Amino acid sequence: MSGFFIRRLMQGVISIIGASIIIFVISRLSGDPILMLLPNDAPTSMIEETRRNLGLNRPLWVQYLIFAQNALVGDFGNSYRWKMPALKLILDRLPATIELAMCGLLFSVAVAVPVGVMSAVHRGGWIDRIGRVFAMLGQAMPAFWVGLLLILVFAIKLNWLPAFGHGSWSQLVLPAISLGWYPVAAQTRIVRSAMLDVLDSDHIRLSRALGTPERLIIWKYALRNAAVPLLTMLGVYFAAMLGGAFVVETIFAWPGVGRTVVEAVFARDFPVVQAGVLFTSVLFVMSNLLVDLSYGLVDPRIRNGR
Amino acid sequence: MLLSVRDLQTHLHLKRGVLRAVDGVSLDVAEGETLGLVGESGSGKTLTGLSLLRLLPKGSGRIVGGSIKLDGQELTTLSEAALARDIRGRKIAMIMQDPMTSLNPVFSIGDQVGSPLRNHDIARGAALRSAVVDVLQRVRLPSPADRLGDYPHQFSGGQRQRIVAAMAIGCTPRLLVADEPTTALDVTIQVQIINLLRSIQADTGAGIILITHDLGVAASLCRRIAVMYAGQIIETGPVRAIYRSPSHPYTKALLAAIPRLGAKRARLTAIAGQPPSLIDPPTGCRFAARCTLRMDKCAEAPPNVTLSDGHSAACWKLV
Ligand SMILES: Nc1ncnc2c1ncn2[C@@H]1O[C@H](COP(=O)(O)OP(=O)(O)OP(=O)(O)O)[C@@H](O)[C@H]1O
Ligand SMILES: [Mg+2]
Repeated sequence: MSGFFIRRLMQGVISIIGASIIIFVISRLSGDPILMLLPNDAPTSMIEETRRNLGLNRPLWVQYLIFAQNALVGDFGNSYRWKMPALKLILDRLPATIELAMCGLLFSVAVAVPVGVMSAVHRGGWIDRIGRVFAMLGQAMPAFWVGLLLILVFAIKLNWLPAFGHGSWSQLVLPAISLGWYPVAAQTRIVRSAMLDVLDSDHIRLSRALGTPERLIIWKYALRNAAVPLLTMLGVYFAAMLGGAFVVETIFAWPGVGRTVVEAVFARDFPVVQAGVLFTSVLFVMSNLLVDLSYGLVDPRIRNGR
Repeated sequence: MLLSVRDLQTHLHLKRGVLRAVDGVSLDVAEGETLGLVGESGSGKTLTGLSLLRLLPKGSGRIVGGSIKLDGQELTTLSEAALARDIRGRKIAMIMQDPMTSLNPVFSIGDQVGSPLRNHDIARGAALRSAVVDVLQRVRLPSPADRLGDYPHQFSGGQRQRIVAAMAIGCTPRLLVADEPTTALDVTIQVQIINLLRSIQADTGAGIILITHDLGVAASLCRRIAVMYAGQIIETGPVRAIYRSPSHPYTKALLAAIPRLGAKRARLTAIAGQPPSLIDPPTGCRFAARCTLRMDKCAEAPPNVTLSDGHSAACWKLV
């Protein structure tokens, strides 16, 4: 397994380097930050002075190398806007984003697993049919739309839950659902088809022939098999949550990395954008690696390095 | 009689029509006896075995007639819950065809072998562990106590079949249905598994139905044989009688198809023609289309003719 793990680690490192180059180039294509930092009537000499101080007058590849070298030791420079280390700004916001992404993922899995299992067990029954309708709805509704809809219904019309903010669990509900909504459909399908396969396997037939109660057959012996394909995808979904968080955090005024980066983009606050995106890609890679590990926990054939 | 099946009819309701997979099967198994159920692929052997446990393909399979009595208790009318609780794995256990796929890949063998014991409340806690070790010792799995945490992929095919056997005999069932337990294994392992089944029977006194299309295996394990063709039993009798004086033309053809001279194994493949479709089968003798001795009368269903004690066959030639 270690060889496999090291290979995945190397792939992860390459992905992060790739992401850093892309975000570095794109952010610099988006416009000149100097114009946002200085008053409109600033003299040219002052503009040149600031540009030199920030290192923005050097060739792009030199800027990147300096950036990469500093990034390696965790120095992303100071935020142009907040005059504090960009990394610290991101790290401060990170727990809120992880909290949201985890809850979003939890929501999607908590819906997808039982619905997927029951759709497979009662194939063609009413759960299966309703599940299919929801799957279609889920795919047709992007996160921002679900978010706005939820705010409209549960915050404004019914006044059950707050529309924004961070701190209590009630403020977490709507953003977590908006974030977790989209992957529910795909996850349900994964669980459903995996369950259908497993329920038709010889070992389940043997289990039945030996009198195992149906409840255990479904929720223990079949589900652990069916969980393997979902688990392999969880890293991808967690990463998708991090991506989706950029939109959802902005809608719900959630003080996470996503909203911070979005604001930094509008302010052309390069260090914060770079630190935020790079950090997200590190999380992305790490969540995939964690999944490779947990995959082994669930599937003994992988754990034992077959 | 331990098991007594009378005129069993199992249908599969498929899109193509109603498939009469088991069509009037009667058989008896005494305590401690091994009955061989022999026949070509598709003749309905597995579905006969599954019918005993009422584990038919979900949605399509149904027992539509006949009776199954175990120790005098009628099983066809028993509720699903009672079947799972008192019969499956407890009084009747089934070993499936393929040991490579019969074990759950993501559960340790300790869990799997312990599962029937737990579900039928035979043992719990520390007693469960020692019961699992004990039953694995009985199937002669090497050093079982050290391997309870191992997973199926860490065992060979022969070892897996032993583990499957351990799952089946854990609750000392009265009847063991072994569905081609050796087909997927190589010859030396087959012999080991056959010996294992013999010793299980000596230990527990269970009745065994051995489903096979390997006549060599059937001859070495069984006292009586029932030959199945197209959903019906066409000849049944003691092994010696069937081998010495096979009476149904199909049985004769089967035995003739065994290669001579030291070849121990034989597959039932060498008869010209195909068995009839079980959706809309012929009204008369189902073997007639392939039979070299066919007569006009064969268009009517043949009677079951008793030839000697316990030996009977269904053929007009014998009347
Ligand atoms: N799940 C199923 N769906 C449709 N038809 C089935 C199913 N299971 C069995 N059959 C059909 O029922 C008939 C009897 O099948 P069965 O499995 O009992 O045969 P068998 O004698 O065990 O054969 P084999 O030696 O190949 O295992 C066959 O015609 C088979 O095609
Ligand atoms: Mg079969």
